[in-house]
Amino acid sequence: MIRSQKFWAAVCAVIFAGSLIWCIVLLTMKPGDTVTITQDGKTLYTIDLSKEPDRTIEITYEGRKNIIEIKGGRVHILEADCPDKVCVNTGWLTAGIPIVCLPNKLVIEYADNDTGLDAVAG
Amino acid sequence: MDLKKLTRLAMLTAFALIIFTIELQLPALAPIPGMKLGLANIVTVYAVYSFNAGETASLVIIRVLLGSLIAGNLMAMAYSLGGAMLCLLGMLFLRKVIDKKHIWVCSVLGAVLHNVGQTIVAIVLMQTKTVIFYLPFLLVSGCVAGALTGMAAQLVVNRLNK
Repeated sequence: MIRSQKFWAAVCAVIFAGSLIWCIVLLTMKPGDTVTITQDGKTLYTIDLSKEPDRTIEITYEGRKNIIEIKGGRVHILEADCPDKVCVNTGWLTAGIPIVCLPNKLVIEYADNDTGLDAVAG
Repeated sequence: MDLKKLTRLAMLTAFALIIFTIELQLPALAPIPGMKLGLANIVTVYAVYSFNAGETASLVIIRVLLGSLIAGNLMAMAYSLGGAMLCLLGMLFLRKVIDKKHIWVCSVLGAVLHNVGQTIVAIVLMQTKTVIFYLPFLLVSGCVAGALTGMAAQLVVNRLNK
């Protein structure tokens, strides 16, 4: 079977279709209210967005900083002093996709939805 | 290793780095860390089907190390290296079972392994499994980019290795 070219092409097709479905599941997830801000494996803040007033949080890591803004029940990274600005360009936090800053090991995510993975794995 | 082969490998490495540097200038396709076309992998796939395991590995490792230095992003080196190593091991196995008419299939699976590798490194380094949420997006883009670079590599292999 592993000598068959068709088998490997089929494996590609299955992986592609599977990840496409996984993407759609993540993108259509409904967010909860609780957001956690985690750095280097430690939870720094747990925020209830429905009660939180608008404010900014500055987080520093080894001299580099990220500024997180909470506004109208949504959260995003306003500023970062890294060169690539991936976290800033991610935009507002959605249910399926966390905001990640790889150089500063910072993760912002909704705490109460791990259903995305279970739906695919189960 | 004879001189001619050494020269070819050095030129291919330089060529891959040029492609890599040009690709750095392109704007990011999506705000997903690690998502890119990976055009330099045309050279990697070509090398997998043209050189032995050790020669291909040295080309890829030198390309990733120098590439990270050129990009000035040493943090990214760990992710690239993790992805590249898993991708390389997978493709070196796959070249035994996938013939030269289906190189694009090998390239797609290599891209998938690359995405899995970089995600594993990110999970280990960041000590959070959160980044796994990026994996499906990386996989979709990886399949498309892998198929395209694979087809390009297939053309090169079939013309240069007659």
